[in-house]
Parts: sequence; C-alpha cells; structure tokens
Amino acid sequence: MKSGSHLEKVLTAGHFAVTAELGPPKGGDAGVIRHGAAMLKDVCDALNVTDNQTAVVRMSSVAACAILKQEGVDPVLQMTCRDRNRLAIQSDILGASALGIRNILCLTGDHQKFGNHPTAKNVHDIDSIQLVQMVKRMRDERKFDCGEEIQGELPFFIGAAANPFADPYEFRPIRLAKKVKAGADFIQSQAVFNVEKFRDYMARVRDMGLLEKVYFLAGVIPVKSVGMIRYMKESVAGLDIPDELVRRMENAEKAREEGVRICVELIQQIREIPGVRGVHIMAVAWESIVPRIVEEAGLLPRPVASTGPTQGE
Amino acid sequence: MIITEQKPLDEILAILEGHESVFLVGCPICATTWGTGGEPQLRQMKAALEAAGKRCVGTLMPEESTCDQRTTRLMLRRSKEALEQADAVLVLACGAGTQTVAALVDVPTYPANNTLYLARLQSLMVSDERCRLCGECVLAETGGICPVTLCAKGLANGPCGGYRDGKCEVDGTQDCAWVLIYRRLHELGQEERFQVIREPKDWSKARHPRLIDKRLEGEKGESTKGGAQPAPSPGPSQREGKRKGGEA
Repeated sequence: MKSGSHLEKVLTAGHFAVTAELGPPKGGDAGVIRHGAAMLKDVCDALNVTDNQTAVVRMSSVAACAILKQEGVDPVLQMTCRDRNRLAIQSDILGASALGIRNILCLTGDHQKFGNHPTAKNVHDIDSIQLVQMVKRMRDERKFDCGEEIQGELPFFIGAAANPFADPYEFRPIRLAKKVKAGADFIQSQAVFNVEKFRDYMARVRDMGLLEKVYFLAGVIPVKSVGMIRYMKESVAGLDIPDELVRRMENAEKAREEGVRICVELIQQIREIPGVRGVHIMAVAWESIVPRIVEEAGLLPRPVASTGPTQGE
Repeated sequence: MIITEQKPLDEILAILEGHESVFLVGCPICATTWGTGGEPQLRQMKAALEAAGKRCVGTLMPEESTCDQRTTRLMLRRSKEALEQADAVLVLACGAGTQTVAALVDVPTYPANNTLYLARLQSLMVSDERCRLCGECVLAETGGICPVTLCAKGLANGPCGGYRDGKCEVDGTQDCAWVLIYRRLHELGQEERFQVIREPKDWSKARHPRLIDKRLEGEKGESTKGGAQPAPSPGPSQREGKRKGGEA
C-alpha cells in the first residue's frame, strides 16, 4: 500500500472504483464543500477537487480537500502546474500530507486565456509528467526536487490524466506510457462518449502492458442539455462525441433524463472493457445527479463505507 | 540585438552523434557581430568538427539575417549540392535562425548556440539585456529604464528590500533597476511618475507563441496579436486540463 487512501484500498482490493468531481466554490464558504460531501460521500470512493478549473479562480483545492477530510470523504487533490512553481507545488504537497490528503492528481492545467484572469502570467515551471515524477521521488526517495532530504513520510497515491481521444490519436497511448513510467499509480481519463474508440485505445494500452502498472479509471460526463452536448461536440477539443448521442439528446422529450440514461449506459459499456478499473464522473455543475447515476449504473453499495479515517493517519 | 553563446563542443558533438556529414550555417547580423556565428566561427567549427572525425560538406553565410526566410531559402537552394551530401545541418545563429533553417531543409537541423537575450551592445565585449519582449512597454513611466527586464523580480512599483550598496542582492554586479529609475525620474523632473501605483501587468501581450499577419489588418479592424485564434468563451464543459484536449 503506497498511501493507504481509501481509493487505493478499493482499487487494490479489486473493486470497480467510483470517483466523482467536485468544483470548489467561487467564494470562501466551507458550507458548499460540506454540502457536496454529504451528497456524494456514500456513492463514491473518492472525490476529486479541481484546482482553479478552466483557470477560473475558486477556493484552493488543498483547503477544499481538507474540509472533505473533516467530512469523512477521501479527497483527490487536483494539482496543476499553471499557478505554482516547484517551490509552491512541493510546499502544498507537504501541507496536503499534513492535512491527511492521500491522493493527488497531477495536471498541467488549462491555459489562463480560457479563464477569468486572461491577463495573468502562467507559471508552468514544470509539466504534469515532471510533477508525477516529483511526487514519486518525494514519496519513495523522500527527496525534494533539489535533492535535499524530506523528513517523514509522504504517502500519496499518485494520479495522472489521460485523453484517449485527442489528436493525434496514435500518440495517446505513448503519452500515457510516459506518465506510467514517471510513476502514476492511477489514471483518470477524459470523458468517454465514443465507446468503440475507447475500446480500441484500451486494447492498445493493454498490449503495451500498461494496465499491469496503473489503475485506469474512465471519465464520464453526464450531459444536462442539448446545448451542452452540441457545445462539447463543436467546441471542446479532445472530446469525441458520436452524432448518435447528439441526436438522442435532440429527440428526447426530457433532455436531462436522456442525459442520465446515456451516462448510465456509457458506464455499463465502459465497465465491460477489460482493464477499466473504475469510473470517474465529472458532473459539471450538476453534482446532484451523481447519486442517481451511480445507483442506476448498479454501482451501489460502495465496497466499504467511505466515512471514517483511513489508515496511516 | 539577440545575444547567443556557443554551446560547449562536447555538447555539439553529442548532438551530432550518428551524423557524419555536416553542413554549417551562420548568421550575418547578430551572431556575426557578437562573434557566435560569423565567418571566423564557421571556420573554427568546421575545423573542430573535422578534428572530431566529421566531414564538413559546406558552409553558408546568408546575405541577410538568417531568420529572414526569404533570403535564407534562396541561399539554401543555391547550396543544394552541398546540402544533398549532408546528413545534418548545424546552425550558428539564434533559435529563430535555427528554426528558419530547420523548416527549409530535409535533414535534422541542430543549434550550435544557446539563445540568451535581447540586448544593448555596449561594445564587442559587453552586452546587457534590455528588453523581455513583454508586449506592453512601460519605458514612458520609468525614465527609459525597463524594470520588467532589469529588476530580477520584475517589480512594477519600486525596489524591494534586497538592495545592498547600490546593487541587487540577486546579482551583486548589477545595479538595482528601481534605484536607477528613481534617480533618472528625478533628473528628468518626473518624480511624480514614481508615485503612481502600477496595476498588475497584462501578460496576455506576452502570450506565446505570438504571430502577426499584417494581411489580416483591417479585415477585423485590428492586427492579429498574441495568439492567432480568437478566444473561445469558456463553457461549462471545460474544466481542468483534462477537458480541453489537454491531458493536462
């Protein structure tokens, strides 16, 4: 056991894991996080807290994760390289460890151009693969990036993102291999809509022997409206949305119901693909739908109560 | 002027490992003046590579700046015969010159230099960095002295506490930019400019890679700058790097 996090235990025990994403508030109210925790803690094994997603300023991921811990949820700290240099990143990692946070998802981060501070300077002192490697060295060798020793343990379960659909498609498994080589323990992927293409991707990833080294959680996004699926299809690079799904949303009497049905179907199909060890539900500004999706997908009850402290704390 | 320094020969030889026949390109402007890519350096490089067992199949000094694709393309065409024998090209210029050549030839193209900074040339021996190409020039407010470049922290509102004996604590050989600015504004009778609180900078002007296509000017009422494509409005579905193509 590398971290003793609940997520790690669920995965190592061979369960099909369920994680979900929680966006922190654009304000300083802890109640929003506590509300999210109450809503989601019994339907998922761990909750990802985004880090200024889309480069929009929100409550810090470390703080929100600490609140989740208080609420008995196993948090996944999302850490981007956009806003911090290697000093700040390492210091936040020490702080996160002190707060009992055991999972970290290492990301590059969206460009500030897409957020609410487009005139900001970005940092990108290191990139996501270097971050994975840095956390691994901090954990396994107890060394800072500079080589100096770290006192005490930093038991983190190290995650990275993967996009099976972005162009160039052939390149994607190769990039995943690099993340695994750098030290990723688990992967949470971009949202899957095109199951056929994803199956093909997973076959290639499996052939490369990567799935023996990393737990792969496939991402899904429940779609709330026709406008949302059209927008994602047309404007979001790296998503592959079959026309059929757009048509289903367009023809549905109740778009939200159809969105839930599609998401549940996708989870059931994805679950059948060899090597997929869990699902990561990114309900963008629609977290309240997650319990229903998890239930209808037949993923309840979760293996062990997600409340209570995890080992190693 | 763009200041470059030649990479150590060991590094250049490591880069060229596996290549036998090398074609050399210099630059007649910055790298010639600064002595990192002129005719003498081409000769020295040729000798050094031959001493290391490489074959130097030709050298080229473009007539204009190597980063000027128009002339460099023509001159590379004229060197076609020599280039056909080359299995690598080594460019003694800045990064822009090297990339210009790399895009015009079919063999691997390598840099002989590291590109350092945009400088004032004080003499053939001394150059100092003067501009960081930030895209939003503040020299009107700072007495013609750039704090973005000359302050190690790029401070916008005056010196920090790391000022010692007139020098910056980060580099004891360098003056404190803000002390220089303050004194200069005083001499110019513009001290009041120091009092103005400068707001955070618009770094989007420095967003790379930058590109200007003057042909598009007037079409949209403005030139393209700081990124060629219009910014898509962030939608609900774009979150974290994972969302937008980014595996983040």
